[in-house]
Amino acid sequence: MKKFLAVIKREYVQRVRSRMFIVVTVLGPLMLALFTVLPALIAGIEAGGPTRVAVIDESGQMFDRFQQALNQKEEISDESVAKNSAAETVNANQRDRVTSTGKILKGNFKVERASLEGRSLDDAKRELSDRIRKGQLDIYIVLPRDILERGTAEFYGRNTGDVFTKGRLTDRLTTAVRDQRLAQKNIAPELVREINRPVTLTARNSDSGDEKDSGAGFYFVLGMGFVIYLTILLYGQVILGAVIEEKETRIAEILFSSIRSFPLMMGKLLGVSMVALTQLTIWGLSFIALASFGPQVLSAKAVSLPDMPPVFGLYFALFFLLGYFIYSTIYALVGSMVTTSQEGGQMAMPVVLLLVVGFYLAFPVIRSPNSSFAFWVSMVPFFSPITMLVRIVTEPPPVWQIILSLGIGFATVTLLIWLASRIYRVGMLMYGKRATIPEVIRWLRQS
Amino acid sequence: MGNNSPTLEIQNISKRFGDFTAVKDLSLTVRAGRIFGLIGPNGAGKTTTIRMIVNITMPDTGTIKLFGQTIDPALQDRIGYLPEERGLYKKMKIGEQLKFFAALKNVSTADADKLVDRWLARVELSAWKNKRAKELSKGMQQKIQFIAAVMHDPDLLILDEPFSGLDPVNVELLRDVVLELKGQGKTIIFSTHQMELAEKLCDDICMINRSEKVLDGSLREVKRSFGRNAVALRMEGGDNVLRDRTLIAKVDRDSDELEALLAPGATAQQLLERLITEGAQITRFELVEPSLNDIFIEKVRGAA
Repeated sequence: MKKFLAVIKREYVQRVRSRMFIVVTVLGPLMLALFTVLPALIAGIEAGGPTRVAVIDESGQMFDRFQQALNQKEEISDESVAKNSAAETVNANQRDRVTSTGKILKGNFKVERASLEGRSLDDAKRELSDRIRKGQLDIYIVLPRDILERGTAEFYGRNTGDVFTKGRLTDRLTTAVRDQRLAQKNIAPELVREINRPVTLTARNSDSGDEKDSGAGFYFVLGMGFVIYLTILLYGQVILGAVIEEKETRIAEILFSSIRSFPLMMGKLLGVSMVALTQLTIWGLSFIALASFGPQVLSAKAVSLPDMPPVFGLYFALFFLLGYFIYSTIYALVGSMVTTSQEGGQMAMPVVLLLVVGFYLAFPVIRSPNSSFAFWVSMVPFFSPITMLVRIVTEPPPVWQIILSLGIGFATVTLLIWLASRIYRVGMLMYGKRATIPEVIRWLRQS
Repeated sequence: MGNNSPTLEIQNISKRFGDFTAVKDLSLTVRAGRIFGLIGPNGAGKTTTIRMIVNITMPDTGTIKLFGQTIDPALQDRIGYLPEERGLYKKMKIGEQLKFFAALKNVSTADADKLVDRWLARVELSAWKNKRAKELSKGMQQKIQFIAAVMHDPDLLILDEPFSGLDPVNVELLRDVVLELKGQGKTIIFSTHQMELAEKLCDDICMINRSEKVLDGSLREVKRSFGRNAVALRMEGGDNVLRDRTLIAKVDRDSDELEALLAPGATAQQLLERLITEGAQITRFELVEPSLNDIFIEKVRGAA
């Protein structure tokens, strides 16, 4: 036991103290903050004052409405408020970022009316173009006489590539034209908004009648699967390196004269995993800190968890660990067979793709979480971290099934580590050569 | 442990890897408090034998008894092993590294601190305690590896080619340590293919060639059994005599001396007579024991 702990301690302390670890750990949240805040800040830079707009209103009835629409505060339309589907919850961060970017982008308009005063349209346009050239005006818009019927207008400016301004003008003009059309038909715009208000569908459990948002839970599970995937991508190579280290430095023989290969392998895996956990915790905490105290851009509803019973938290933790260990053990297994970390990385990747299969299996499972199909895939160790969790958040299976799934999973992990340690010990005796599968099988029988 | 009870008893062990037999029907006894030389050319099966002794691999057949018990992982803590394939964690500090190796031998943390300091001082590397392994020269690293093998005060110390690549000063230093440990009653197994080294250090030897034991016993007995059939000579002239194959089997020339191995049936007396008759000027004529190398070559040739 003392030896086992010594291995864990060495793996952990040596890695956590390394400069690389510190740099990556600190840089992670910094990058996150940078990538979320910076684009919004840069995009929001107001180069120059409000956009000066001149409007030639040939129709003679649009100017007031248009000016009003242009000066209106950005209003979140009814449709987008109601669009609170599960997918939206997951993408909340993304969406909020876009809307807040939009808020900053909302430039002011300084609107003036350019009257024809008996001049021809061409003369008026020439004069306005002249003013743009002199820098007294930014753009001008011509609203034709038949704008209500044909729905077209023209916009002149030097910088016609400014898609944001163009988009906003289109938006406001559309609103103004629509309201004008409604007014002509004697329909109050408020009435139309009232009519267009969408339906909210609340999902309730048929037994308890509780409001239940398992959709969000489902996406939460997929999100967690993604975190497992990322962790494996980040740490698989580290585990591989840790297993190969003694082969590359030729320390293996000294170690094997002191400790059995199973506690050695297990100690390595746990040591590296604790490093990963440390890093994830630091990142998680700094993310939460950023979200609650940081700039407004980040403090979206991104961290709001779906409403779930507390025991689910335990399940999430357990299945996260299971998923992580199942896949990292594969790296350990590969590491036991190869002699350099480069050749190991390529070998492990195909197996890690099983995790992606797990993602896809989540969809048939959510449609019928209590089918026998769902039962079997949630028992397969490579898929259970995702599929079983999907079942738990949608229609919780009996506890014995959850325990069985966890049991099978962790038994598989132990078996894989045992296998890896065995291959490792025999393979150590033959330096400098990658083992073929038949050789590995022979070693297993031999030792 | 009585001084006469064997530390290690190996009976009829064999080990095969696929079609290759690494060790064949090997038996040997290592007595307590002595330096035991396991000698033979590269690939003879020395390292495989040692790996079975330290419980890294198991023999296919045969038994190994260590300190009177069948080997098991717990006994590993009483063995110190310096393998031929050895290294250090490159980025780890020397002091921490040694403490880690000590922990793997169940040494308490407090003891390990003291032991590390004491041993680093003994091999004159105290100043390097907080340096990383990759900053050390190869010779220094080898001394650190040596400490890792001895610091937990093992009753049996196994050294596989411990001096290879070391300069003479450090060879001397480590040899003194080995002799000191022997003086403390430790048993030492010393594996090498360099016969001259084994000859200087060992009390007992076991020669292995092509997976099989060729001969064993105390160094003195082995040499005595081969008789004094070599003559150390310093002389001028007499070269014709040396070419006589009925008298002399083999000649090794040093700078100003030569060693002549007598042909079977020839005596030193006959050689001396012939040299005098031929008019050689003799300044030295001495019967010497054959070197381990000569014995080995003769044994292997005899078997072939």
